[in-house]
Amino acid sequence: MDWNATESIIQSDEQHAESSECVDARNKREEEKVENQTVNISLCGSTPLLWRAADIRKCREEVGVIGTLVGSLARQPRQNIRLGRPLELLQEEARLLVQTGKATALRHKELSENAGSRLKAVELYRARLEQSYEEQCALALEERKAVLQRVMNEKQNVHKDNEGAELAVRERLESLEKSFSFPRSAMAIQLYTARAGFSHCPEEHAFLAADWPMPRDERSETRFRVYKDLRSKGFYLTTAGKFGGDYLVYPGDPLRFHAHFIALCLPMDEKVPLCDILAIARLGSNVKKTVILCSPQDTSDSGEEIEEEVVYSSLQWSGIV
Amino acid sequence: MAATDIQPEPVQIDFTKELLSSSELFQRRSRSHKIPVRGQKEFLPNYSVQQKACLQKTLDEHWMLMTEERLERAGNLVNAEWIPEEKIVKLQSPAGKFWQTMGFSDQGKQCLFPEEALYLMECGSLQVFYQDLPLSIQEGYETFLSAETVTFLQYQVFGHLKRLGYVVNRFDARPSKQLKRKWSRSPSFRLCAKKSTASPEVSAGQHKGEIKTSVPYSNLETPGQLQRQQTFQDDALKSDPESDRAPERNWWTNVSRQLQPDSLQTSEHCWDFSCIFFPDLGSYSGNRACLPPPDPSLLPGALQVSECHLAHWHRNIHLKEECWSKQKWQRDQERNRCSINDDQEVCRCRNWVEYLELLEKRRSQQHNERPTHLGEQEVMPLAQPGKCSSHRELLEQVSIIQSYDLLVGNSRLPGSDHWRITFNVYQPDTEFKKSYPGKPYTHLCVCSFDGPVPDLHALKELSFQSGDVSVTFAVVDHGDISFYCFKEFKLPTDVY
Repeated sequence: MDWNATESIIQSDEQHAESSECVDARNKREEEKVENQTVNISLCGSTPLLWRAADIRKCREEVGVIGTLVGSLARQPRQNIRLGRPLELLQEEARLLVQTGKATALRHKELSENAGSRLKAVELYRARLEQSYEEQCALALEERKAVLQRVMNEKQNVHKDNEGAELAVRERLESLEKSFSFPRSAMAIQLYTARAGFSHCPEEHAFLAADWPMPRDERSETRFRVYKDLRSKGFYLTTAGKFGGDYLVYPGDPLRFHAHFIALCLPMDEKVPLCDILAIARLGSNVKKTVILCSPQDTSDSGEEIEEEVVYSSLQWSGIV
Repeated sequence: MAATDIQPEPVQIDFTKELLSSSELFQRRSRSHKIPVRGQKEFLPNYSVQQKACLQKTLDEHWMLMTEERLERAGNLVNAEWIPEEKIVKLQSPAGKFWQTMGFSDQGKQCLFPEEALYLMECGSLQVFYQDLPLSIQEGYETFLSAETVTFLQYQVFGHLKRLGYVVNRFDARPSKQLKRKWSRSPSFRLCAKKSTASPEVSAGQHKGEIKTSVPYSNLETPGQLQRQQTFQDDALKSDPESDRAPERNWWTNVSRQLQPDSLQTSEHCWDFSCIFFPDLGSYSGNRACLPPPDPSLLPGALQVSECHLAHWHRNIHLKEECWSKQKWQRDQERNRCSINDDQEVCRCRNWVEYLELLEKRRSQQHNERPTHLGEQEVMPLAQPGKCSSHRELLEQVSIIQSYDLLVGNSRLPGSDHWRITFNVYQPDTEFKKSYPGKPYTHLCVCSFDGPVPDLHALKELSFQSGDVSVTFAVVDHGDISFYCFKEFKLPTDVY
């Protein structure tokens, strides 16, 4: 596996070309980056997506960001029960990740047209493919040999007194080595899920730190404040469009637990028709969940940032006997 | 984010983590395709060891499935190339089984739409190259999906249905040939044909949203024409039931002559079967002994048919009066209970002339009793007394809001860009042919939970575009897809 090596060679070539101060500065910056921004949110249109398994795991484990898997599962692509990468994030989830410094949002550049670097990348890719073929070829031969050896051994055990057996085995092995051919069509090829890197030489995969294409209206602001508050209280949240609310609120990881609440985000001073409230309360009781109305308290009047607080009210049918 | 004024800087990404080594590749060639089953969910975390272990196990399985990379034998992969100028993917090696339901041929080349290519990439049956380098699935999402091709939202729905086995392809707003053929058989085809030929710009502009600028003045005359056409047709239709009711039907030569000009002008081969009646021999009285010859234009070329003598046929017809059962007779009697003989005034009449005078008197009385403000002025009652013979007729007369068919007369509504049909969906089990796809199972309109609910205008427009195929709305909520449809419902009007 020389791919790592080749990449670092390219890097060092580059660094030689640059002036030494620049290299220092850059190294420093990169070190900071490794610490701070490790998760890369890539935007498809305006939808934030996570592509790398490590990133997705980190987000779930460290920030409690669940998201939704929207791609086909590698293992069994033609079903909808379990899906695979990419992971689609809610705008609020992406915003929280960025705010906590866990992630950077990136918008990739158009497929590059730089002919020179492209040519180099193609060469690298082909060399890598060829090398992989040769290695797989060797592995296949080894495997075949092992099988042959085992079969021969078994035979030998049956006819213990056979003198010529060992010789026969050796002959067969030799002929196998000569005649063995590993067809190219049998070679395993990886189909990359996340950007594989070799289509972009390091210096040109200049991702732009994207302007956040998120709407900053009152509604998204309300939703974000509610999201942040509930998350900080330890709840897990997923989207609740099917339940007519904003979020489904889980007491633990949604993989193992049922949601308890349907959260509906409403600004403090918003007037809601009574029949809307009744409708969602009725829906909530039908699916055995409690509807909570979440309204962030207005902090804009008191100039300074105080502890953000959200007011929660739950809805419950009460029968008077 | 405060990144707007900071120079966009290159971000270093460690690409090597998810690349598999040759030995890993080799080992994983034969791996299991099983998906672990998730157990029943629990209600509350109780922080027990058992629950924790269970969660950990589920999580481990989750990560295992999610981390897994796609792996295919080179022989099972179809290679293709991305052509950014045309926004299509051209195959470089012969297509696989997917060709039965996907792709199209362009100048002898096998091509795929970007969404099809992306789906096949995700299924591990296609490798797409751009400038001799393979595209990862991430690059596929980022380069193939756009407003010009198929958006991310639409692709999510496409992928969802494809994974379920449905045949999905792009919706073409132009009506296909077979659809036209079908329309021409329906009774209202003439009207529709007229519409589509009279205003091609309107129908073309409708789904591009540029309607107002490109409608030439001459087209504005069409509503009048349409209306005329409509009324003419209505008359023709109305005349049918009347002639139906007439005791002696004027079928054959006479009637068909009356309606001929219209039906023959538009299409000589299409007979308007509603105008050709089957002879009703039963109601013919004995004095008419023969039928006139049929209209020669309805007969095949050399055939000559002369008058037909009825007497022979008449003998075969059951002409006895129907024997009513006692109950039915009673019911009938009850309905006509007020016999004319119960009327005192009528009884007083001594002769026929006095009776007629009485009727005349009553009629004028009735006329005079009616309030003067009704009838003669601009404001009229919806129903005139004595004009209705049944509840249904009365209800029809007093209904102010006419029942409304989504499909009727909306070609002139301004088209909106927001609502349009994206996909045709065909059921998985049917034998699908790309050359003759037939009628789709449903038409799909993709929208988001963040967006508005379609209004009546949008519904009407969509159902018009869709014709006789139902429209289903696929509503995407961050990866979660729900399907809804609006069904037209007619209130029952059968009242006795």
